[in-house]
Amino acid sequence: MREEFYNTLRSPVWWGVLALAAMVPFVLPSYYVHILTLSLVYVALASSWNIVGGMAGQISLAHSLFIGTGAMLSTALLLKLGVNMWLGLLISAAISGALGALIAWIDFRFQLGHLSFVLITLAFAEMGSIVVEGSEFLGGASGLLLPKDTGNFLAFQFGGGSGAFWMMLALAAICVLVSVAILNAPLGYYLRTIRDNEKAAQAIGVDILRYKITAMVISAVLASVVGTAYARYLTFADPYLLVSPVITIEIVLFATVGGLGRAYGPALGALLLVPLGEVLRGKLGSTLPGLHYFIYGIVVIAVILITPRGLLPLFERLWARVRPATRIS
Amino acid sequence: MLEIDHLVAGYGGVAVLHDISATIGAGEIVGLLGANNAGKTTLINALSGMVKPMSGRIRFQGEDISQMTPQARVEAGIVQVPEGRLVFPDMSIRENLLLGGINARARKSRPQQMDKVLGLFPRLKERLAQNAGSLSGGEQQMLAIGRGLMAEARVLMLDEPSLGLSPLFVQYIFEIIDRLHAEGLTILLVEQNLNLTLRHARRCYVLERGQVAVEGEADLVRNDPRTRSAYLGL
Amino acid sequence: MTELYQALAQGLLIGSTYGLLALGMGLVYGVSGVVNFSHGDFISLGMFMCLALYSAFSLDPYVSVIITVPVMTAIGALVYLYLIRPMVGHQFLMVVQLTLGLSLVLQNGILMVFGGQPARTPSMVESKLFILGDVVLRVPHIIAFAISFVLAIGLYIMLRSTDFGRSIRAVHQNAHAAALMGIDVGRVQVLTFALGIGILALAAALLLPGTPIQPTQGLRYTVITLLVVVLGGMTNFVGIMLGGLIIGIAEAFGTIYLDGPLGLLMPYIIFVAIMLFRPQGLTWRSQR
Repeated sequence: MREEFYNTLRSPVWWGVLALAAMVPFVLPSYYVHILTLSLVYVALASSWNIVGGMAGQISLAHSLFIGTGAMLSTALLLKLGVNMWLGLLISAAISGALGALIAWIDFRFQLGHLSFVLITLAFAEMGSIVVEGSEFLGGASGLLLPKDTGNFLAFQFGGGSGAFWMMLALAAICVLVSVAILNAPLGYYLRTIRDNEKAAQAIGVDILRYKITAMVISAVLASVVGTAYARYLTFADPYLLVSPVITIEIVLFATVGGLGRAYGPALGALLLVPLGEVLRGKLGSTLPGLHYFIYGIVVIAVILITPRGLLPLFERLWARVRPATRIS
Repeated sequence: MLEIDHLVAGYGGVAVLHDISATIGAGEIVGLLGANNAGKTTLINALSGMVKPMSGRIRFQGEDISQMTPQARVEAGIVQVPEGRLVFPDMSIRENLLLGGINARARKSRPQQMDKVLGLFPRLKERLAQNAGSLSGGEQQMLAIGRGLMAEARVLMLDEPSLGLSPLFVQYIFEIIDRLHAEGLTILLVEQNLNLTLRHARRCYVLERGQVAVEGEADLVRNDPRTRSAYLGL
Repeated sequence: MTELYQALAQGLLIGSTYGLLALGMGLVYGVSGVVNFSHGDFISLGMFMCLALYSAFSLDPYVSVIITVPVMTAIGALVYLYLIRPMVGHQFLMVVQLTLGLSLVLQNGILMVFGGQPARTPSMVESKLFILGDVVLRVPHIIAFAISFVLAIGLYIMLRSTDFGRSIRAVHQNAHAAALMGIDVGRVQVLTFALGIGILALAAALLLPGTPIQPTQGLRYTVITLLVVVLGGMTNFVGIMLGGLIIGIAEAFGTIYLDGPLGLLMPYIIFVAIMLFRPQGLTWRSQR
C-alpha cells in the first residue's frame, strides 16, 4: 500500500523537479522569486487543508485559526517574551494541533453533519479573529512587526529573498509529500471511507474519531508551521491577512480549482492562481484593488461549473487522450 | 384514453421497464399488478412524467405526451395518488386539498371541487384545520385521494392504496374507488394485492421484471398460471 | 437598570432585521437545500447600490429600495438559474465552494467600483433620536424594527394563504409530492431564491442609515445570518425571527456589559453552545 509513496521518494522526476525549482532564485529576478515564494506558501497551505477538506471531505473553515496561531503566537512569543522563534514555532504548532484535535472531537462527539461542521468551523474562525484583534499580547488589530531578517538561521531567519524561497520550497514539498504519504497509507483509505459514507465506515468498524483527529492534527500542525514561516517572510504578522477567514476561503478555492482530495491538486490550483493574482495585483493593484480576488472568484465558479472535480482530473484526461500509448497505470 | 406504446424507461440510463405496451380506455378501471420491484411504480411515474422515457411513446387522448413536463400532465388531467400517500404533513387538510387543485385548469373551480371531495369524505370535513401529519393512515389515504380529485383528474392513478391500512379502511377506500368509477372516472389501480384488485378492476396487466407478463379480463388473469408465477418470481 | 432596558431595546430593534435577513436564507434552504455563503455580500451589494443612487441622484436609502429591490430580485433569479441550479443535486459541498467563490466576486467587484474606504449613505432620519424615559433609541433602528416586523408578518401570511406560499411549503415538505400536484418545483426554487435576495435589498436599506459600510463586511453578515438561521432550526419561520431577536440581544448585551472582544464574542458563544446541545435549533417540534 505504501509502495507508491516510496516510489515517489525514489522518483528521479520528483527530485529533479525539486532541484530545478531550487535553482529559480539564481535565474529569475527577485520580483518573480517573491511571487513564486508566495505561491509556495499557498501550495503548502492548500495541501495542508486538503488533508481534512479534500481527503476526508470535511469542509473546515477554521484553517485560519491554525495559520493565525502559527503566525501571531510565535511572533508575540519572540517580541514579548524573547522566545526563540524555532521554539515559538513548536509551541504554536503544538497548540494548533491541540485546537485541531478539539475541533475534530467536537465534530465527532456532537455528530455534526457536513453543513453544521462548515458553520461551526466558520464561527470558530470568526471568534479567533475577534480574539486576536482584541488581544494586546497578540498585537491587536495593528499586528506585530518582526525584526529585520539578517539571515540568522538559529533565530529562524533565512536572509529574505532566495533563503525564504528555499524555506518555502521545503515546506511546500513536505506538505505535498505528507499528502502523498497519507493517500497511500491506511489513513488515506480510511479518510476516503469517511468522506464517501461516514455511517457505513462506522458500521464496518472504522475508528472514525481516531482518523478524524489524526487528519485534523496533521493538517493543523502543517498550517501552523507554514503560518510562522509566512509571518517571518512578510516580517509582519498581519491579523487581517493571517487570522481572517478570507485566507481559508482562498485556500479552499485553490484546492477546489486544482482538485480536491488529490495529492497534487491543491498545489496545482495554488501554482496557477497565486501567480495570476499577484501579477494582476502588481499591475493593477493601485487602480483596481481586489481584482485578483475577483478573478479567483470567477475562476473557481467557472471550474466548478465546468469540471466540478477540479483541473487536475481534467488535465489527466487530456493527457491520456494526447498520449494514450505511453500511459502507465 | 391512455396508450402506452413500447415504452422503455428507467433511472440513470438503466432500464427498469422494457418494452411495455398497454391501454386504458375512457371510463375504464384497469388494474396493474406485480410483485415488488416489478416496475409498477416506475410505470406510473413514467405516466406522471417523473421518469423520462428512453424510448417508446405515451399518448393521452390521442396526443403524444412523452416529452411533457409533470406539471403539464397534471394540468391535462393525468393525476397520481402516490404510494405511501405523501400528504404534506405540516399543512392542514384544507391546505393539502387546495394544493391538490393548484394546477391552472383546476384552480378556478376549487371551492366547488372542495365541496364535492368533502362530501365524499365527511371524515375530512370534520377536521379541515388539523395537520395532515396527525391523521391515521386511512385518513391520510382519504386525503391523498381527495387531493387527487381536487386536481380534476381525468385519469386517476392510485399507487398501492391499500398499503398499510386496516381491512375496514381497505374496504372503505375500495368502495370509494368503485363509486368514482361508477361516476365515470378513468382509474388505473396499481396494487400488490392480487385478489382485491381482481375484484374491482375489469381488466388487468401483470408486470414481471419490467415486462407485461399477463394481460386481459380479470377472470382470465385470475386463472392464468403465469399470474401466479409472476408473483412467485418463478 | 437603565443599561438593561437600553440593551434589551437596542437588541430587539436590530434583532428583528437580523431575523428578516435570515428568513430569506431559511426559505431558500427549505426549498432547495442550498446554503448561500455569499448571502452577506448580497447585503453589501444592496447597501452599495443605495450609496450609488445617493451619489448620483441624492436618493434617500428608504426611497432607493424602489429600484434596488427589483434589481436584486432579478440578480438573484439569474444567479440561481445559471450558477446554483446546475449544481443542485450534484453535491451539497460544491455549492458551498461555489457560493464562497461568488462571495469573492461580489466583495471585490464592489471594492473595485467603490474603493475600500468606509463610506456612509446619509438619510434624512439618520441622526434623529427617540427618547423613552432613560432609553435612547435611534430612529433608523425603530424604522428597521417596524418594517422588518411588518414584512415578516406579510411573508408569513403569504406562506400561509397564497398559492405561491403554499407551493413553497409543499416543495419544502415533499418535493416529489409537490411535483405530482403539478407544482413546477424548479420554478419555485428560482423564485424563492430571487425573493430571498430581494428581501436582502430591503434589509440592506434598513441597516444602512448611520452605519459605515465597507466592501469587506459581507462575510460577517453571512455569519450572523447563518447563526440566526441555525438557531431558528433552519426552516422554522417563527424560530428564525426568534433567533434574530436572540442574536440581536446577545450582541447588544455583549457590547454594553462586556469589554472589548468578549462582548463581540457573545453571539458566537451562544451559537456554538446551541449548535452543540440543541442541533435542531430552538424549536421544539421537529419540522420535516
